Amino acid sequence: MAVEAVTYMDPAGLKAIGAGLAVGLTGLASGIAERDIGSAAIGAMAENESLFGKGLILTVIPETIVIFGLVVALLIS
Amino acid sequence: MLKPKQMSRAVIVGHKDIMEATVEAIHGSNLFHLEDYNEDGSGLKLGRPFKNAGEVSKKLIQLRSISSFLGVKKESIPKKKETTVINELDSMLDQLDIEVSTKTEKKSELDSRLKELETLKKDISPFSAIPIDMELYHNYESIKVFAGTVKENIGPAISQVTSTYEMEYDQSTGTVVLFIKKEDEAKISEILSNFEFREIRIPEISGTPSTLLADITREEEGIQKQITSLETDISSIKDKYSEFILASEELLTIEAEKAEAPVKIATSEHTFIIDGWIPDDQFATLERTIESATNGRAFVSKQNITKADTDIIPIEYDNPKITQPFQEIMDLYARPKYKEIDPTSLIFISFPLFYGMILGDIGYALILLALALGIKKMVNSDAVKPLMNVLIYCQISTLIFGVLYGEFLGFPLASLHTDHGIIPGLIAGFETITLFNSPVGGEVITYPIHRTHIVMTMIIATAIIGSLHVNFGYVVGFINEKRNHGFAAAMFEKGSWLVVELGIILGVLGYTGYAPTEIIGIIVFLIGFVMLVKGEGAKGAIELPSLLSNALSYTRLIAVGLSSIYIASTVNLIAFEMILPQGGVLAVIGAIIVFIFGHALNTVLSIIAPGLHSLRLQYVEFFGKFYEGGGRKYNPFGYIRKYTEE
Repeated sequence: MAVEAVTYMDPAGLKAIGAGLAVGLTGLASGIAERDIGSAAIGAMAENESLFGKGLILTVIPETIVIFGLVVALLIS
Repeated sequence: MLKPKQMSRAVIVGHKDIMEATVEAIHGSNLFHLEDYNEDGSGLKLGRPFKNAGEVSKKLIQLRSISSFLGVKKESIPKKKETTVINELDSMLDQLDIEVSTKTEKKSELDSRLKELETLKKDISPFSAIPIDMELYHNYESIKVFAGTVKENIGPAISQVTSTYEMEYDQSTGTVVLFIKKEDEAKISEILSNFEFREIRIPEISGTPSTLLADITREEEGIQKQITSLETDISSIKDKYSEFILASEELLTIEAEKAEAPVKIATSEHTFIIDGWIPDDQFATLERTIESATNGRAFVSKQNITKADTDIIPIEYDNPKITQPFQEIMDLYARPKYKEIDPTSLIFISFPLFYGMILGDIGYALILLALALGIKKMVNSDAVKPLMNVLIYCQISTLIFGVLYGEFLGFPLASLHTDHGIIPGLIAGFETITLFNSPVGGEVITYPIHRTHIVMTMIIATAIIGSLHVNFGYVVGFINEKRNHGFAAAMFEKGSWLVVELGIILGVLGYTGYAPTEIIGIIVFLIGFVMLVKGEGAKGAIELPSLLSNALSYTRLIAVGLSSIYIASTVNLIAFEMILPQGGVLAVIGAIIVFIFGHALNTVLSIIAPGLHSLRLQYVEFFGKFYEGGGRKYNPFGYIRKYTEE
């Protein structure tokens, strides 16, 4: 009689993978979004230095995505 | 506090005879923000610069070019009397000009000769191993000269074609020079091209390359020496005259500003009208100054500020000294408008508070505090000082939170008993005290607060702090709006958010069964929603979810802080638990290096990450609720003397 091998997945490992994905993917997403905004903001700043504040704000808006990712990761683990 | 300085619009009118005296008085007081006059067809014309303008600006240009040639740096020197500077200005300037101009000419001559030699050297160097006089390469009728580089010796190949040739080949550089009869040129060229021949330009000079190169090196050394001695001369001139240059440049700048002032002023044939702004409390001072300067012949009047004016009123902050460094952070975003609340004093509290909450480490606080104090002491710059002051405030807050969190460079100060065993603290015998159970996540609040062990509680706590801060923003917005557009507009635009939130809270309380308010909550929410749509239009409805995302955005207060702790404790782990136990002197050195560099990196990150995130919370989440900004900077016509005194 053949004995079927049963593989178990350790829930802790899956949690760690989930947490990693949450931070990693949101980090990528923030990066992609900030890339375009940041380069445009620097372009605007080169024209007019006083736009620094506005440029900074617009650039860090997508930062929230990765913060949420980090929070989710903390909640999972 | 909380409000920009009260300004008055002042107009000064008088006869052209007293224009110079008036301008002098205004400039001296350094209080009056001059409004540039634009010709608008009313018959008034822009004034002409005073008659000394040309001379003053000529001298100023002369002085500035000398100053930049000598490299005079701004430094603190004892103030000179204005009259002494004026008396010696002309003679000193001439003397200085003579001394410097000969030196300048000499130096540029030497520099260009040095460059020439450099090129020549480059041209000759390929021929350095070939002992033929450079003169012998030119001026032949029946001989063709090839000079260039090839990939290998071409002697055998050439001798197959002709026997009448002269060749020199330098194995090391691959340089070849070849003298052949003119008629063989075509054949030889073909062979050369097979050997990847690349022609080199032959410089037109005489002498063998090796002696030429030696000569050039000798001449270069001579020139270098001359330049060095010239530079010593220049620096001694600089030392001798730099005080005079700084003082007279300041004086001439002041004179030039005054002399050019009439081009901003409206004039008619016999009169002038100066228009501008002045802080309200200084109006009397200005009036008095001008009266005494002109014997009362100029007429100063205060104008009513019209509604159209409010957008162009120059803004001067009016904050207590302690909060003034944060004006820099305000300027980074935008100056407040005249009728707006100036939030400098608000971010004076919230910015360091959030920074400290994120960083919260005694070790980093002390390092950065020392750094900030050091830089503040050493760098004497008006741009750096306020930023260092901001950093110092932030570090004080970090220190307080560090004591609260009990962290030192990523090490916990107190030992903590957990389910997985005891985490030892840095201070022996300092035990964590259990205070009470947290309502969420089955976590326990202790002193010191171990942030890494109560993540759930901290996330909720920071989100609550966020809601409070955002709502405070709405309240400030309400006040702004009420001041500018009345109570109703404020209620619809800003108050509606508070009503919506109240509705949500009541609804949630009802839904979870804490209070029988579910229906009331929904009704209040709907009322708030309708008010919001009336106040802000469709935009308000779309922005509704931002209530949640804004509050959650404050969870970065714990998230960024945790990442900082983890970096620090990873550095400690690598240094003290992975490298150090290897034993030996090398391990000790390695551990120390990892420890120092790791924490140096994290120290830099400790300025950037908490700083930027805290700043963002002010700019985006907080300012977004009420702040408009865009005020003009109050820039009084005048000069702050550094090197001279009257």
